[in-house]
Amino acid sequence: MSGSATMKRVEVIKESRRPTAWQLLMNNTLAAIGFYLICAVILVAVAAPLLPIPNPDATSLAERFLPFGSPGHLLGTDHLGRDVLARLIWGTQVSLLVGISASVIAAFFGSAIGLVSGYAGGRTDNLMMRGIDMLMAFPYILLALAIVAVLGPGLMNALYAISVVNIPFFARNIRGITIGLSHREFVDAARLSGKGHLSIILTEILPNVLPVIVITMSTTVGWMILETAGLSFLGLGAQPPQADLGSMLGEARTQMFTHPFVATAPGLMVFIIVMSINLLGDGVRDALDPRLRAGALSRPRAVTRIERRDTPTAQPAGGAALNVVELETSFEGTKGPEPAVKGVSFSLSKGECLGLIGESGSGKSVTALSLLGLVASPPGIITGGRVDIDGEDILSMPETKITSYRGGKVAYVFQDPLTTLHPLFTIGDQVAEAIRVHQPVSQTEARAKAVELFKAVRLPDPEQRSSAYPHELSGGQRQRVGIAMALANDPDIIIADEPTTALDVTVQAEILRLLQVLREERGLALLFITHDFGVVAQICDKVAVMRYGKIVEAGATSEVLRNPQHDYTKRLIACVPKPGQGRAFLEGVRALLDREARGRA
Amino acid sequence: MLKLSKGIAALAFAAAAAFGLVAPAAAQTPPNVLVVGQIAEPAALDPHTVTAVNDFRILMNIYDGLVRYKPGTLEVEPALATSWDISDDGTEYTFHLRDGVKFHDGSDFNADAVKFNFDRMLKDDHPYHDTGPFPLSFFFSSITDVTAVDPLTVKFTLSEPYAPFLSNLAYPTGLIVSPAAVEQYGKDFGRHPSGTGPFKFVEWQSNARVVIERNDDYWDGAPALDAVIYRPITDANTRVAEMLSGGLDLMVEVPPDNVATFASDPAFKVYEQAGPHLWFLILNAKDGPFANKEVRQAVNYAVNKQALVDNVLQGTATVAAGPTPPAFNWAYDESLDPYPYNPDKARQMIKDAGFEGAEVTFLVTEGGSGMLDPIPMGTAIQADLEAVGLKVKIETYEWNTFLGIVNPGLEGKGDMAEMAWMTNDPDTLPFLALRTDAWPDKGGFNSGYYSNPKVDELLEAARKSTDQAERASLYKQMQELVYDDAPWLFVANWKQNAVSSARVENFALQPSFLLDLRKVSKPN
Amino acid sequence: MTGYIVKRLFAAIPVLVGLSIIVFLIMAAIPGDPATAILGAFATPENVARINQQLGLDKPLWDQYFIWVGNLLHGDFGRSYILNRPVLDEILERFSATLILAGTSLVICSFLGLLAGIVSAVRQFTWVDRVVTFFVLIGISMPSFFLGLLMIIVFAVQWRLLPPSGMFAAYGGGDLPDLLRHLVLPAATLSVVATGVIARLTRASMLEVLRQDYVRTARAKGLDERTVIYKHAFKAALVSVVPVIGIQAGFVLGGAVYIETVFQWPGIGAMLVKAISTRDILLVQGGVLVVAAAYVFFNLLADVAQSLLDPRLKT
Repeated sequence: MSGSATMKRVEVIKESRRPTAWQLLMNNTLAAIGFYLICAVILVAVAAPLLPIPNPDATSLAERFLPFGSPGHLLGTDHLGRDVLARLIWGTQVSLLVGISASVIAAFFGSAIGLVSGYAGGRTDNLMMRGIDMLMAFPYILLALAIVAVLGPGLMNALYAISVVNIPFFARNIRGITIGLSHREFVDAARLSGKGHLSIILTEILPNVLPVIVITMSTTVGWMILETAGLSFLGLGAQPPQADLGSMLGEARTQMFTHPFVATAPGLMVFIIVMSINLLGDGVRDALDPRLRAGALSRPRAVTRIERRDTPTAQPAGGAALNVVELETSFEGTKGPEPAVKGVSFSLSKGECLGLIGESGSGKSVTALSLLGLVASPPGIITGGRVDIDGEDILSMPETKITSYRGGKVAYVFQDPLTTLHPLFTIGDQVAEAIRVHQPVSQTEARAKAVELFKAVRLPDPEQRSSAYPHELSGGQRQRVGIAMALANDPDIIIADEPTTALDVTVQAEILRLLQVLREERGLALLFITHDFGVVAQICDKVAVMRYGKIVEAGATSEVLRNPQHDYTKRLIACVPKPGQGRAFLEGVRALLDREARGRA
Repeated sequence: MLKLSKGIAALAFAAAAAFGLVAPAAAQTPPNVLVVGQIAEPAALDPHTVTAVNDFRILMNIYDGLVRYKPGTLEVEPALATSWDISDDGTEYTFHLRDGVKFHDGSDFNADAVKFNFDRMLKDDHPYHDTGPFPLSFFFSSITDVTAVDPLTVKFTLSEPYAPFLSNLAYPTGLIVSPAAVEQYGKDFGRHPSGTGPFKFVEWQSNARVVIERNDDYWDGAPALDAVIYRPITDANTRVAEMLSGGLDLMVEVPPDNVATFASDPAFKVYEQAGPHLWFLILNAKDGPFANKEVRQAVNYAVNKQALVDNVLQGTATVAAGPTPPAFNWAYDESLDPYPYNPDKARQMIKDAGFEGAEVTFLVTEGGSGMLDPIPMGTAIQADLEAVGLKVKIETYEWNTFLGIVNPGLEGKGDMAEMAWMTNDPDTLPFLALRTDAWPDKGGFNSGYYSNPKVDELLEAARKSTDQAERASLYKQMQELVYDDAPWLFVANWKQNAVSSARVENFALQPSFLLDLRKVSKPN
Repeated sequence: MTGYIVKRLFAAIPVLVGLSIIVFLIMAAIPGDPATAILGAFATPENVARINQQLGLDKPLWDQYFIWVGNLLHGDFGRSYILNRPVLDEILERFSATLILAGTSLVICSFLGLLAGIVSAVRQFTWVDRVVTFFVLIGISMPSFFLGLLMIIVFAVQWRLLPPSGMFAAYGGGDLPDLLRHLVLPAATLSVVATGVIARLTRASMLEVLRQDYVRTARAKGLDERTVIYKHAFKAALVSVVPVIGIQAGFVLGGAVYIETVFQWPGIGAMLVKAISTRDILLVQGGVLVVAAAYVFFNLLADVAQSLLDPRLKT
């Protein structure tokens, strides 16, 4: 509870350091290139009336097909002796205008349909989506062709045709998101408050959908320009003598074999425009999509980057299975690496259980993951310290050797088994796979062993369950699978990262009991990460309390519980309700929070 | 990772190998087989149901008519009929048929077969009339009766004298099909053609090829080629690419800008032949600026036709002077000179008529039979007219839409429209497109509503006369009147062209625009 | 699964019926009529009326529609006015040509797209990634008709390596190597855009999946990086790529119109363009229905494939 307040503060700090969407966009080199290119193109196109270029429609039949660089005709002339440069600039203006307007129209109507359809649901939704299906099933060029045939030729009609053809794309995208939003609490709240449907759509849903519309538009403008060019290429767009890029290409096409250069200029221009819009569009998407903001779009490496400034010398830790010295793990920020784990040291002996406790964001999970280089990297970097297992520094080992420790000597149990188990493989296969990584056994043997393990973790009906997928199991069952997987290769050390946090209390108790039994039976060393002193009290021999990336207090569990030294420890302990404590518990917590608030002010 | 790179390398290698396997392309076409690039898939191989010159190029080699055009001319000579008599009043034609001719399906050619052919087209109650429609049957609408006098004599009775009758019989619509085959295949006869011509039909693979082979029993001597393969390639550019890459032996309607490329390459031969073709703009004489004769004349002065044919059409056409193409040499009025290019005069005339800055709508087509390069032509004309003070707005339409708009008349839709005609008789075009009785509401093609009673009279008289000299004089008078009235903007007479590989011998284009392959050979 | 497929197929019926009505209305709204197309330059109003009557086009629109539907229920797609042959014959020939072209392109673009996407995701920020990204960008930014023309100029006209048009040689040929030779250029051109789209999506999905907790679990098991990427991450990424491949099938079918025009491939796209221009209403009807049905089918296929991959979607 006290954690949430602190967490919020941390978030606020992070937020202010976060670059704005614009900065993100400009930091992306490719997007910046796209941006400047398209700006340059637009600038030239807009400035067409001011530029010293000849009349784009003035023919001069005696001067057909002048090559590049002819005097007065920098890009030569076309089949009617018209200046290609002038036509290119004016044509770019037309093509851009049409492409962008078509996107706007398609986005407007498509989003409107998507919003209404997704919000209304039921029959309206069904009916509208069948209509959209019809549009989509109609081959898009033919639909555009037919529309132009009905409306008659001309740029405006081509524009309408392209807009219509692209409506389904927006409608489907927006509908999907609207459906999700229309069942959210804030929409329900607005509905209950008596707001009309239209105003809910406009004030509650639309603002949340807008970024998606912008992203979809930015990724379709290029496509629209290509399609406009395509229609003009088929002779359905601009009416002569007006130039647009597609009709320039279409006209130049007849001369492809005799005067290929005439097609080069409009061809390249279409390419440049579409490419720069695509680059920019990608950038916009990356900048606006919150998931991608944190730089998540880079691939994590197999092992966390290790760049230690210095490596502490080994300490003779007598018989410790795991010895961590001055471990420092940082995350890359805009202003260089920022440490999240700041010089953590602890050790764990065989058969011992160490509880690493702290609130969210205290660095305890990062510490646990750092031990075998599992912190996602980028942005994670291990910047200092050493991790000795059986007296050898893991962080000095080559990648393949680190990998061989994973799931072998040291195994992990993670917090949320729904996301940590692969959704597309059966649990039997996943455990069998873990076995086969470290043991030379056949698939059948591995499957049999997996069933054995399921029995060991008391998964009900193990033979049958082993061919179930994770989503078919309950939370507790999934966590038993996670533990079975950890046990697959008889590890010496199990690192359990909040293994019971996602579970309800009774299941939590069962899982803890299971871990306890296994530890005793197999003589495991257990590093138990949690935010719950109650759990620590139940199973841990030793405890280390972490805050802001540092261990603030450590010792035997009973000692720390009896006589906590650090304020923070006291608060954590106070957060564990005792049976029969009743209202006094809440008052205790409130007092602690008040004190903290005063202290901060 | 390494393995992946290896995989890519292996893949690239496999692709390269596959490429090598398919590389020996562009083999030459085999000797004695002529591969012809067509501009479209034929609609049918039944000469009575089709209208396109493209289809005629195949049909002329499978079928014969009673008469045919003498090679290199538009004069009629005997074919399946060895001779004919015309009654003095010009309403009865009696044909004496060639003996011993058989259709490719083995049935006999005789007077009954001829009667069957024309009755099928013209009589609603004929049992095979439903194998139509027969769009050009109006060429023979003056026929009231066809009688088989004896197996080798057939008599046509006309409702009134009709001078172009023989010429129309030589047109592909007059080709004679096998009645036995029509009876056998019904509506599908168009895919199982059988005639008496120099080549026999072999196969028609839709959208790929039509193959015909030599008819060894041809009455006029078997042709030199073993077979002819027609390939439909609708896109002119692709046709050029096929020709350049050796996949075709012969292509017609070469885009003007490519002619020079072929002409300068010794691997190809270029052919050229003027024909009865006219490219013009219909001017709306009913409303708008062109109701004024001076403005119509002015635009004739305003357009630089010489520059159009020299540059846009690259010399594949000549400047047109009046409504009759010079290819009808006996009927053509040599004394007419094309309107000279005189923009200053044109500007003054338009100004004097009070139409300076007037807006005109110009209907332009994207393609179509005989339309040459309609969009560049239209655009260039637009620029010329802008230069003399008219504001021209172009509307382009795909060919069938264009016809759907133009043929019912320009009123309310436009002031000028592109048009082109290829005809077989000097009567056809003016009779169908310049008479008062040919206004669209009366079933004609006079979409610009031109009307001059004197012209009407001359045309009616010329059609009824069977004396060529008299007809010639009537047509010349008509041309002078029309030249001065300027109901059209006369632009160009096309010289049709073709390219063949140098291996093709004895090929010549015909003024009739038809493709005669009887004498063509390709020995290696 | 079977129930689901049957349900989806039934859901497609109203879409196809609606589509056929739309096609009829659109075709009726286009100026000009089949008679004009048959008559060509000789289309006087009088001639047009005569031909229309012969073709039964003088009947009211709804009568025409219901006659067509009635015939269709008997398996009769009608007869093309312009081609003088049964619509079904023409459509089957044309559609198989398009299937060969679009199918090949789809295989190419799926394979290359996935490969390029994975490589550039795995080798993120290396030169391989940059090269792949660069080519993908060119692919999706290049007008396909322009690319097709360039291909013809280079490979067919300049180097004479491959035939520039058609599906088979005009003489001889007709066998598989002949078909393949003709297929190379159009299929390559047609697959470029879709390859780019799939590659981009694959790259993005891979990068997203590689951030998932279960990939960390896979690593924590001690799996080597290759297994992590090609087994765990790729399978998960495929789940979001497969439906897009289904959508690309629609785009490839649509995009085939340009390619068939440029390369004179005797496919259904080029046929429909011509049929629209000649107002060959029954041919347009039949063609659009077949293409739409194919689109529905491809999407269904993609959805089925997706639910086979992802047990969570099984119903």
